Amino acid sequence: MEIFILAFFALGYLVLAGADIGVGMTLPYLGRSGAERREVIAAIAPFFLGNEVWLVATAGVLAGLFPELEGELLAGNYSVVVVLLLGWIVRDMGLWLRGRVPGRRWAGFWDGAIVAGSWGLALSWGLLLSHVLLGIQGPVALLPALVVAALFATHGLTFAALRLRGVLRERAAVLSGGSGGPVEARTYTLTTGALVAVGVLAGLRLPLHPGTSGSLLVPVILVLIPLLVAAQGWVWWTFRHRVTGPSYL
Amino acid sequence: METVDLARLQFALTAGAHFLFVALTLGLATLVAVVQTRATLTGSPVHMRMTRFWGQLYIINYAMGIVTGLVMEFQLGLSWSGLTEYAGNVFGSALAIEALVAFFIESTFLGLWIFGWNKLNRWAHLALIWIVTLTAYASAFWIMIANGFLQNPVGHVVDGGTLRLVDFGAMVANPAAQVAFWHVMGGAMITGGFFMAGVSAYHLRKRTAEQDFFRKSLRLGIGVALPATFVTATFGGISFDTMQPTKIAAWVGSAERLAEAQAEMVARLGPGDYLPPVEWVRGGGLTMVILLVVMLLVAAASCVLMAFRPVVRGFRLWHWLLTAMIPVPFVTVIAGWIFREMGRQPWAVYGLLKTADAMSSVTETQMRFSIIAFASVFSVLILINYWLLARHARRGPDAVALGDRPIDTPSAPALSF
Repeated sequence: MEIFILAFFALGYLVLAGADIGVGMTLPYLGRSGAERREVIAAIAPFFLGNEVWLVATAGVLAGLFPELEGELLAGNYSVVVVLLLGWIVRDMGLWLRGRVPGRRWAGFWDGAIVAGSWGLALSWGLLLSHVLLGIQGPVALLPALVVAALFATHGLTFAALRLRGVLRERAAVLSGGSGGPVEARTYTLTTGALVAVGVLAGLRLPLHPGTSGSLLVPVILVLIPLLVAAQGWVWWTFRHRVTGPSYL
Repeated sequence: METVDLARLQFALTAGAHFLFVALTLGLATLVAVVQTRATLTGSPVHMRMTRFWGQLYIINYAMGIVTGLVMEFQLGLSWSGLTEYAGNVFGSALAIEALVAFFIESTFLGLWIFGWNKLNRWAHLALIWIVTLTAYASAFWIMIANGFLQNPVGHVVDGGTLRLVDFGAMVANPAAQVAFWHVMGGAMITGGFFMAGVSAYHLRKRTAEQDFFRKSLRLGIGVALPATFVTATFGGISFDTMQPTKIAAWVGSAERLAEAQAEMVARLGPGDYLPPVEWVRGGGLTMVILLVVMLLVAAASCVLMAFRPVVRGFRLWHWLLTAMIPVPFVTVIAGWIFREMGRQPWAVYGLLKTADAMSSVTETQMRFSIIAFASVFSVLILINYWLLARHARRGPDAVALGDRPIDTPSAPALSF
């Protein structure tokens, strides 16, 4: 059961946050002007806080249920995890700060931070997954890391195609082979499946030996999960329609 | 510096930075929730504008709290895997509950509160800010349970070289955690209260046209800060009963108390140096106590002064003093934290695991890389965020973007489908 809980949060993170990371990576392609980029960001704005928290939860599950693996995984990939965190910080700050001061240069600078941070995040996920999945480290690992990053970017595009309208939607649907609701949904399902597959395969390679507090924590977490999903469901439901203009960010 | 010292410095810098933002977050969230309740109940426009203005400052501050908090959470596994492997089965449960019960909900609903402005039913929107506030308290609670265990381990047994949790209730009821939680909550309310009062006083000194707006805000800020200083002082006083003998000896600072505490530890655990760095403990503790007295006096005097409307409008020296007080609670909470955490040394888990044995097997190069990277990125971001906080605070309620228009309504003719 401990393994199911870990998988639930880790896979949830890859699928949900994978989309906002991918949109950040493809921001220069999707949005060609400041106004367009702001609208593209509105596609992920209401979700990114609720998405990244799945990784915080995954780390919490590791700390509570797999304390040994937590150390092995994080300390064993020290530099990659540090870069991942830096990418995450820079991406988030780009999102928060881009609209705080009027002016094109200010927004442009922080848009750059969003793109750089998103790429940093995706590539360090790629490096981390390559190490876990294929056991390779160092410069060679950049090759599989790029494949993972491309998967994040594609996933971001398929998500953006479901959220945006007009020319932005057409750009996002470039890989879907034509726009239109059902095609877009199918492509999103496809990239989701690919991310889940990568996550599951990597998980199978991990030494998943639970610690000793499962008897206490597992029931608590199982009771919580429906509540957490309902909370997230409220966000998804509130913002289920396509973006029609800029948001707060 | 040795690798373990670098790791400690890195943890101290990120934890200290995180605490600065968290203290204000906890205080401001409460104040925003109170103001929004008033706005929702009465429909008063000034309270709605207050919600948006203080809410905007709260969000600017919150964003920095998140990113510093992320590094905190991951740093335990990164740099201190000796600690998580040894004690993770015990205090890791508190961290897991914090992440799932508290932060997950807090973050999800904060997003809904920000982006759902003018989109959700106003009662639902009000419920959101209260859930965000209460889960922020819950977050502080579970973090203090984890910290309390490291200060005063209870509810565990040693089993095969690592710790195992046997009494969850005892871990939660740990006095070293419970007392500290209320002490920290009080400190956060002081921070939020003085912030609100200080920013309001700035505008009143500038002869703002928003007299009503900032008079109400100033009264609310002081009205929360004054009782909070009593709560903080009371629980701070009680906490001396739950403190490690070595920390108390360092606080008293007399040679005989120190020798006594050291001898007691040697008798229990064998030869070794068991005393914390005395200057840090005394310096932190004294700074905290002196500044708390200063805040108590200023808050008490302000509580009297704010009853008189002409004084609130025109007593500029007092306005200036209140604005100058904004940084004081921040310095105080950092001093208190130094007192508590330096006083725990040389232990990571008091009496069980030394800090030097809690580290991961990380090379000095890796540690230097990460500390330089985190320190430079965070110092730039902290400066920018404080600059923004000051800028938005100065600009006043008319320049607020939060909730200024219905979100997701077309700002231009709909693009072609």
